[in-house]
Amino acid sequence: MKLPVFWGCRILTSQYAYEMSIRQVLPRLGVELVDLREMHCCGDYIKSINMFAATYMAARILALANETSIKNLLVPCSRCHFALSETQHILEENRNLKDKVVALLKKEKLNYSSDIKIWHIIDFIHDVIGVEFIRQKVKRSLKGLKFASHVGCQTIRPSSIKRVDNPETPRKLYELIKALGAESLEYPEKLDCCGAALMSSHQEAALTLAGSKLKALQELGVDGLIDSCPACHIMFDIKQKNAATIIGGKLAMPVLYYTQLLGIAMQINAEKLGLHLNQSPVEKILEISSS
Amino acid sequence: MSLVDLMSMAKPNEEMRKKILQKLHEELAYCFQCAKCTSGCTAFKLLELVPHEIMRLTKLGFIEELITSEIIWTCATCLKCVERCPQNVSPYHVIIALRNIAVKQEAKIPEAYLKAVSQILETGLAQTIEKVTTKKMESLDRQKLHLPEIKHPTETFRTTFLKILEEHEL
Amino acid sequence: MPNIGVYVCHCGLNIAGTVDVERVAEYAKTLPDVVVAKHYKYICSEPGQRMIQEDIRAYGLERVVIAACSPRMHEETFRKTVAEAGLNPYLLEVVNLREHCSWAHSDQPEKATEKAKELVRMGVARARLLEPLEKRVISVEKNVLVVGGGIAGIEASLDLANAGFKVYLVEKAPSIGGRMAQLDKTFPTLDCSACILTPKMVDVAKHSNIKLLTNAEVTNVSGFVGNYEVTVLKKPRYVDEDKCVGCGLCTEACPVKIPDKFNEGLSQTHAISIYSPHAVPKVAIINPEHCLRLKYGKEVCGRCLKTCEAKAINFEQQPENIQLKVGAIILAVGADVFDAAKIPELGYGRFKNVISNIQFERISDASGPTGGKILCPETGKPPRSIVFIQCVGSRDKRFHEYCCRVGCMISLKQAILAREKLGGDVEIYICYNDIRAFGKGYEEFYRRARDLNINFLAGIPSEIRSAPDGSLCVTVYEKVVNKLLEIHADLVVLSCGIVPRKDFNKISETFHVSRSSDGFLLEAHPKLRPLETSTAGIFLAGACQGPKDIPDSVAHASGAAAKVIELLSKGEFEIEPLKAVVNPDFCSGCGICKSICPFDAIEMKTETANEEKLVAEVIEVKCQGCGACASACPTHAIKMQHYTDEQILAQIHAALIAK
Repeated sequence: MKLPVFWGCRILTSQYAYEMSIRQVLPRLGVELVDLREMHCCGDYIKSINMFAATYMAARILALANETSIKNLLVPCSRCHFALSETQHILEENRNLKDKVVALLKKEKLNYSSDIKIWHIIDFIHDVIGVEFIRQKVKRSLKGLKFASHVGCQTIRPSSIKRVDNPETPRKLYELIKALGAESLEYPEKLDCCGAALMSSHQEAALTLAGSKLKALQELGVDGLIDSCPACHIMFDIKQKNAATIIGGKLAMPVLYYTQLLGIAMQINAEKLGLHLNQSPVEKILEISSS
Repeated sequence: MSLVDLMSMAKPNEEMRKKILQKLHEELAYCFQCAKCTSGCTAFKLLELVPHEIMRLTKLGFIEELITSEIIWTCATCLKCVERCPQNVSPYHVIIALRNIAVKQEAKIPEAYLKAVSQILETGLAQTIEKVTTKKMESLDRQKLHLPEIKHPTETFRTTFLKILEEHEL
Repeated sequence: MPNIGVYVCHCGLNIAGTVDVERVAEYAKTLPDVVVAKHYKYICSEPGQRMIQEDIRAYGLERVVIAACSPRMHEETFRKTVAEAGLNPYLLEVVNLREHCSWAHSDQPEKATEKAKELVRMGVARARLLEPLEKRVISVEKNVLVVGGGIAGIEASLDLANAGFKVYLVEKAPSIGGRMAQLDKTFPTLDCSACILTPKMVDVAKHSNIKLLTNAEVTNVSGFVGNYEVTVLKKPRYVDEDKCVGCGLCTEACPVKIPDKFNEGLSQTHAISIYSPHAVPKVAIINPEHCLRLKYGKEVCGRCLKTCEAKAINFEQQPENIQLKVGAIILAVGADVFDAAKIPELGYGRFKNVISNIQFERISDASGPTGGKILCPETGKPPRSIVFIQCVGSRDKRFHEYCCRVGCMISLKQAILAREKLGGDVEIYICYNDIRAFGKGYEEFYRRARDLNINFLAGIPSEIRSAPDGSLCVTVYEKVVNKLLEIHADLVVLSCGIVPRKDFNKISETFHVSRSSDGFLLEAHPKLRPLETSTAGIFLAGACQGPKDIPDSVAHASGAAAKVIELLSKGEFEIEPLKAVVNPDFCSGCGICKSICPFDAIEMKTETANEEKLVAEVIEVKCQGCGACASACPTHAIKMQHYTDEQILAQIHAALIAK
């Protein structure tokens, strides 16, 4: 099936590993990714500046998606996923606002449509591809490895609009990890935020949040943290050393995107999955899984 | 309003209060101060963000002190308060609205947000395209990693975006 | 043409202040058939009423039109007035010159006066066509069905039985007692619940006027007020109620363990057991879903049979359908407790030491699973710190918007009991929104709790986590001292609210009672008629109408009993004749009226002459005179008494004629 994808700023400008692993894994699951005609920010940062501008930006992405005539859109970043989903919801609730936004887009010869189904990696793989299908695609079982899953806050909240999973007991990423043969863990800090949004204004606090969660997982003895959002990944993986400095301890937690882990289980080449771009010690995972 | 804060002698800003009540009437009307939002707030322990207090201050109209304070920029936007509020109100949305007012009033806002705006005006994306360095000290970019080129938006995006910001329509 | 008298009321200045009542009365004189038209200051006063009565005699009036305030105010009064003077009360027309005229157009007196004249003209047009009608008297059964054997059902049953009525008390569970039987002590007196309840339960069992049907459910209700036909399904206990002595030996012999429902899952009981510690009747019951013999055959097990010395066990027992004829029904079906598993972040269901308030009650009860000792379910040890969390599932738009009324008082009580049983060292915290201690002795009870070193924290926790040492980590922002507090609690008690029962849908259907938006059974009027439903003859008692504590449930139940006595004591009652009437000659038997009637008041009957033809018949006692059937009838076979098409059309015609 053809699936349009909206990457968002973080993936396009620095989180290449996520894009690489998605581009490797999804075609092998029968999905042909379609890029949008234009790429721009979903409006996440702009919400704090001007909500109307942010709404316009998100609606514009949905209008660009509409051009593909495919009513599904994959959004691998939790911030973008929320921005687009909330905008879709608001425009249905507020007729006035919708008219204004639609008019602006029409001037740019863009047509907004409200019936685009917005997917995230987690629910797309879990609900559409299916856990069973994933299980069958595993060539190298990850048995013996124990992972903690981290679902981005903005993928599961607020449940008053349709989100990717249950807000208090999200299970999809958990199940997807288990489908690879690995053990997945429930832990008290499961729903704790990575702090990404605070990097714009309060870096120390942001890194403390990420570091505390990593420290707790380290104490639980998991083999790795699996995330599914570039904002979270930047905090846990790229900034792990900074976080360690801030909280005053040593952190050596392998952090991978789910699509990277899935790629490992499908025996896709590690470099093709961008694993050399992870800053956390992911070599441990590669070692264990290849033994 | 006939209200005054005796410690600071500040009076509520009636105009701002009315404006924000118009947009967020339900949020401010129904909050009954159970403080559950603060009990679970991601930003409280490190940054002392007290969402229920912000709700009540906003409702009373003490908006100037909020928009000139750093506190409204401490929200981690984790949305836990929105999810768990028993009155279905959202301190998150009130905080975002206060941020918008702060920008409009040209109060001090964190630089990163301004950088994002100028970057979006330039390339459409909120960040600059980075080269990444691997642990083996290799420097890679999208081209080297065989990733497709980024298709920047047409000029109409930029002009529309700029126009909206200038009109300050919230 | 009938002689018509028109009386225009000043209503003080209420009408006369805007409408020129003299001119209206003068105008009325010019209308055909009007033989007398007067205006008067207060027609509802004694001299006003007497004036009309004298005129009826003097002028031989056959119709009376009173142009005054809304008929909702005084139509009943004026009907009595004219009836006393010998005129059929339904030959009276009340024209509303106040709410519909002077009050609505107080700034346009000239136009208001013109409108008043038109309204009077319309009233006269209708009055001309009014027909005399008689109230009907129907006889009633002097038996009462009470559904639900909790404290409300028990109270209502005893009140009615003592008043001489025969009561059928149907209880779904194997024993009466309901929620109150599950309680340890009651607030604010800390009376032992069983001590004050069980004497009443025994009274019910022994009362010659009460027939107690336990392990039974009402499956069908038909008929109408005063004459209900009820089918009760008595499910088999597989134990003979007359032979069982309640010794409990069968329970000890039974090899099957099942969760104990009465103890809210905190302990186990057996497939054969006595339902509760103070069960009435004290008879064992076999659970057919778990009994090995009932499920797999007699070869599999028969231990209880062998053990029972009274030979009371009977595996062949069959369900029984009992038909009852009753005049009134009281629904005292109670309410449920909020299932805190719906709020996963509080850990109920995940952490054994997070319990609900009803579970705490069972733990505290001496006849409960721990013999009355406060022990943590996980460890079996007494807690060193207990945290109560208020408003779980209540005052919460995501679940139940209303305040559950009793949550605060229950937690105060349980905190006090915990202090008394565990001593001074245990830390007790109550996380609250507000402390609602509104009743008699309640605020004093709150003071008593504060006196016992119970810590009140103004703030609600967002979630509960497990701490590495096995305790429960409760984080709450205390908004009075502005501190984020972390409490390591051994036991967390969730103050779960009172919620509508899951079977209210079935009850609503079976008894034709509506539900309010909060899910409880709907009363006829929230202020003035909290005991009746909109279905005549069916009343509400206790928490099924809305969350209540015990004193309110008892008062409510006694009130319902009084309402029943009011209804049935004379053996008959009158109904207003403002009903639909079917003309069988015009009726085509299509049945549209029956399908439309919201009160189930139409029956399709076969004609005696032609058995193939169906004819609609209105059940007068059920008909509420809404008119839906009359407007739906394609052959105009239905007439609304006192609101006929001709009367209404005459009014319209009168309104539209040129002056």
